[in-house]
Amino acid sequence: MTPETIPAIELAIPPYPEYLQLVRALVGAAANNSGDRSPLEPGRVADLRLVVSEAATNAVEAQGAVGARDRIVVRCRVADDHVLVEVIDHGPGFDPDAVPDLPNVETPERLRHEFGLGVALMERLADEADVESGPDGTTVRLVIRST
Amino acid sequence: MQFNLHRRELLPTDGAVGLASGAGVVLTVLSDLDMAGAPALRQAVVAEVTSGTRLLVLDLTAIDFLDSAGLGAVVGGLRRLRAHDGDLMVVCPEPRIRRVFESCDLDRVFVLHPDVGSAIAAVIAAGERASV
Repeated sequence: MTPETIPAIELAIPPYPEYLQLVRALVGAAANNSGDRSPLEPGRVADLRLVVSEAATNAVEAQGAVGARDRIVVRCRVADDHVLVEVIDHGPGFDPDAVPDLPNVETPERLRHEFGLGVALMERLADEADVESGPDGTTVRLVIRST
Repeated sequence: MQFNLHRRELLPTDGAVGLASGAGVVLTVLSDLDMAGAPALRQAVVAEVTSGTRLLVLDLTAIDFLDSAGLGAVVGGLRRLRAHDGDLMVVCPEPRIRRVFESCDLDRVFVLHPDVGSAIAAVIAAGERASV
């Protein structure tokens, strides 16, 4: 199948942490069971599950912060040489460029940062991690390539 | 979904013969450690510190998934133990889970031990160095 003919999988979840496991399971299954063969090695499927979980976690947090009960939409499309996932929320939005860098890992201040690692993880592990954010919500677009 | 955590005291068979009886606790995490599981781990660590535990071994051998929210709870646990002059040791033999620590540079904060015995040996060795 060409990438254009592979249907996207779409899941709409209530904005609660209990549904994150379902998101990971869906995306992992889609990447592993995509017709003739998966475009990703097992280690990269693990990375995919991780970055999708990070994006969905941020979405749950963003909506929780303002009490928005809209469903969070997760779309996954498996192509011959990559997997694309979009996570769409209806939170208040944020400025991706304003996410502060973490202090050096070997300084004591680093241990005060229990949160805020997710964006750094997405940027490190995904081949592409794009964030579009505005007052009506945020769309995170993640691509993991086969090579 | 319920968060599964198994708690036990350190045993001589862990190699803890050089430590006082009841010197520490092993918490074995059996559930995914994500935003859904992290609060339960935080609560468990608070309960341990409140009840006097000063050496906590966090065994991640059995977990299937760890993300930054789970890592945050582990970092918070270390900070809480150290604030009470204690320490938190992490057992994490699985490469897929170790990779999450490494991706956040936290393998430079935590020594990721292959098993509980190795973590206890490190504690005893550090104690011997400190007493020299």
